[in-house]
Amino acid sequence: MARKDLLDIASLHREEIEFLLDQSTSFKKLFTRSVKKIPALEGKSVLMLFYEASTRTHSSFEVAAKRLSAEVTNFNVDHSSITKGESVRETIETLQAMRTDYIVVRHSHSGLPGMIARQTTASVINAGDGAHEHPTQALLDAFTIKEKFPDPRGKKVLIIGDILHSRVARSTSTLLQKLGIEVAYLGPGSLVPKYVPASIPRFTDYEAAMAWAPDVVYLLRVQLERQDVQFFPSVREYHRVYGITNTRLAEISDKGLYIMHPGPVNRGVELCDAVMDYERSLITNQVENGISVRMAVLDWLTPGGDFPKQEAYAAQPRAGSTVIMP
Amino acid sequence: MLLLQNARIASENSPVLLESDVLIVEGKIQAIGSNLAIPEGARVIDARGRILMPGMFDAHVHFRAPGFENKETITTGSEAAINGGITGVVMMPNTRPALDSATAVATVLENARDRARIPVYTSGCVTKNREGKELAEIEGMRELGVKMLTDDGDTTADPAVLLRAMQYATEFGMFFASHCEVPELAGPRALNEGVMSYRLGIKGSPACAEEIIIDRDIRLARAAGAHVHIQHVSSKLGMETIRWWKSRGDVKVTAEVAPHHLLFTDEHIGDYDTNYKMNPPLRTQADCDALLEGLKEGVLDLIATDHAPHTPFEKAQDFISAPNGITGLDTALVSLYHHFVAPGKFGWDLVVKRYSAEPRRLMGLPVAAIEVGQPADCVLFDTDAETTFTKDFMKSKSQNTPFIDQTLKGSVDLVVLGTEVLLER
Repeated sequence: MARKDLLDIASLHREEIEFLLDQSTSFKKLFTRSVKKIPALEGKSVLMLFYEASTRTHSSFEVAAKRLSAEVTNFNVDHSSITKGESVRETIETLQAMRTDYIVVRHSHSGLPGMIARQTTASVINAGDGAHEHPTQALLDAFTIKEKFPDPRGKKVLIIGDILHSRVARSTSTLLQKLGIEVAYLGPGSLVPKYVPASIPRFTDYEAAMAWAPDVVYLLRVQLERQDVQFFPSVREYHRVYGITNTRLAEISDKGLYIMHPGPVNRGVELCDAVMDYERSLITNQVENGISVRMAVLDWLTPGGDFPKQEAYAAQPRAGSTVIMP
Repeated sequence: MLLLQNARIASENSPVLLESDVLIVEGKIQAIGSNLAIPEGARVIDARGRILMPGMFDAHVHFRAPGFENKETITTGSEAAINGGITGVVMMPNTRPALDSATAVATVLENARDRARIPVYTSGCVTKNREGKELAEIEGMRELGVKMLTDDGDTTADPAVLLRAMQYATEFGMFFASHCEVPELAGPRALNEGVMSYRLGIKGSPACAEEIIIDRDIRLARAAGAHVHIQHVSSKLGMETIRWWKSRGDVKVTAEVAPHHLLFTDEHIGDYDTNYKMNPPLRTQADCDALLEGLKEGVLDLIATDHAPHTPFEKAQDFISAPNGITGLDTALVSLYHHFVAPGKFGWDLVVKRYSAEPRRLMGLPVAAIEVGQPADCVLFDTDAETTFTKDFMKSKSQNTPFIDQTLKGSVDLVVLGTEVLLER
């Protein structure tokens, strides 16, 4: 049985994750063909409901949906009136009346996509909710890592930065751990909650974190636009203490470590310019892989019906969805 | 005339339930004894096996009137109290307009006399419009019977303002009830900072946000020679702070705990269930355990629900948008029985002491008791029956409670106040 919604990584079973990653591989092969479109979601409608600004996630979902031949509608969210929950509820009623098949939602309030999912028969995909989850980002991160490490068990990923506000850190760390990858955090004391799961070691200085011998260094975006409260003294100091400086890049290069970043990058803050040209930077791979992962997710979910949450999964793709390879 | 036969009488002074008949005549308990003769014209109720206790008294309720009558009114709120075996309440003054003047208080008390079947008392604001700047008209409210001053819903942020209010109002025999929270630390979300706040991706409110003000306000009360009552204690260290101050004996401190802080943890929030969103937030099992110990020891003097109704529409929003608070009056006594008395964690004597006697003492009211000569103010409770908290069962105008549709052991069968039978099931 398939799922109606993708709201989080926490409730995904390992079999579901591996199925989605396998499907993503198939979809990615499609990109090399002259016709990149398949009719898997022909006649279906995908509604993009982005209450927060987004460029890459939004366009990635849009491209993914179009390559599956779905119709994509961008819901015109009035930023001036969306802060109140009642507006969201009215929107949900409207969407339900429209009988859309998929809703891709991003909102600054944690848990809001789940609330929408409970009130609509459409498949809801969480494209980022507050500091809660960003499941497709986690899937594309895992997919990108698996491209480099086909059997990633025992590999180590060091996530550096603002864990407190990061849905990426939560989703990606959860998913990587489900795949047997070790995860550790490094960041300022004001931005790494002391209640992170015990399974995630927390380093307080860069050298100690590197001594842990990570295979991948995953830099989180410093969300300067959200820093209405001062969590660290200056971006200069942040870069010096937690950023990939030129000196650190040399060390990373020597060790052959991969660098990842969910984007968009603050150059000179999380990383120095040279990282963008570093041969083991996977940042553009992540963007590219986002499309195939999101195609796999859209193709996998089954809108409609009254699906209980966190349904047990039988790893059988729907008819017609696996025959994408020539 | 009402004769209750073979009731098991609970009192704050003894864990032993005394089985006896109780005769109520003209609103007073006229006789207690075995096999009392049935007076002519008396109504006889077979109370065998059921517990007879004084009516509960809730020193912390929000009846939302004036200003928010879509959530609750004095009538619906007091009916919810009766439904739960509670025969007296103290309203909080965070209404609109706020109860910060004799005029506002007089209006509320007049409404209460007309519209409630139980005594409804009110507290008054410490500062005008609860803004924490100018002192409210304290003495004018005292003349109308207000004893408790609080800016509940918020801490009186400026300690100098609170200290002055304490110095001034203590002269009039008034005391202060403190909602303890540093807003800059607590943040707006009403979720304990911990494993759950990390998992749900919501900025948590650390317990120290509460503990700092508990300590601050007791220090201020000590400096002013005032009596401070700490409201809805939710944290272990907060309770221990109160214990330490009480052990010194040089400041008058009382404190209350809400049933939900004894019963639920942040883990109950689960998938963003707004019925568990309240302020102070639900904390951890260690906090619950410590609060239970504090209640038994008397560090926490009384139980109060912080009955906080909100409309279904408001609570049906996402967790972050939904307002803080849950209702408590319909459910308090049954839930205390089900979760604590029935499993033997404490006895009926503690319930009577902490939820009937101590809150009345706090308010300077006569303590209700099942004793000869006392006014009839009693509740008959069936420990064998069950209560299902359906929407129809609830008398509160709002049903924002985790207990909705739950079935718990115990039932409030009868509520008698003076000459009136307020409730009979």
